[in-house]
Amino acid sequence: MTDDVLRRAADEAVAPEQASSRLKSRIYSGLVAAAQDAGPLRTLSESKADGEKLCVFEHAVAALPSTGLQSRNPCVVCHARLLAERVERAPIYWPGCPYARFCGH
Amino acid sequence: MLKARNSTLASHATDLDLVQAALLRDRKAAARLVELHADAVHAYVWRRLAPKVDMVDDLTQEVFLAAWRGLDSFTGAAPLRNWLLSIARHKVEDYYRRTLAAVCVPVDGDEESEPGVALADLDGDMDAAQKARKVAKVISELPYEYAIVLRWRYWEDRSAREMAQATGRTEKAIERLVARARAKFREQWEMSK
Repeated sequence: MTDDVLRRAADEAVAPEQASSRLKSRIYSGLVAAAQDAGPLRTLSESKADGEKLCVFEHAVAALPSTGLQSRNPCVVCHARLLAERVERAPIYWPGCPYARFCGH
Repeated sequence: MLKARNSTLASHATDLDLVQAALLRDRKAAARLVELHADAVHAYVWRRLAPKVDMVDDLTQEVFLAAWRGLDSFTGAAPLRNWLLSIARHKVEDYYRRTLAAVCVPVDGDEESEPGVALADLDGDMDAAQKARKVAKVISELPYEYAIVLRWRYWEDRSAREMAQATGRTEKAIERLVARARAKFREQWEMSK
């Protein structure tokens, strides 16, 4: 065996094909929190206008007249986030919910 | 050929759209970033840190946070996936550096610099892919500092000098550590036959 084979092994190491849904959920929550630290989030009505799907709670927030309120993150108080960050493939079925998508639903 | 090129161009446009939306702090862009690239980044980190699975998740999360904070430096010259993996590579190497800086490295001994163990005769009947898979498996079963030093040396293609500079060790000490790791590797290889 040469050093070359040792090098080639990097591509052959077996890794899980998918990251866990819990990890994806935690990453997403972390990114949104980081975005909020940097400034107000883009309003949900703007995201919606771009063709993004919203969950039922986001639709409610998007209907609010205040831009400040629309820039808040309703996921912070949502049970779907709590479940998805803790339970693998949590039973969340809200259409448009990012956590539900990470869970494969 | 044309189809592949069109698909590359399309994914390039998608990358730039996604980054543009992310720079506007669009939460849906964050979701898409995770959905599209978390599996690849996680697999990359997993291969380089196994079996410390708890660290894999933490480091994967760090990669995404670093990427998110540095999105304005993404030029689109390379696909977004490659850009994320290059951040992952830096994070992994930083982890290697911290881990090796904390372990005791041999200060004396009779090991030769690096070649030490002749590996040419191992399982000559296996094809290259089988051998590479077994190498990866045996490395993951070594004491962790040995696994790290071999991955860093061979998988990230770093010289003993670069590793020494990064960890604050002497080059000789790193060479001895690599030699010991290779010797242990051979021992484990023989045991796993």
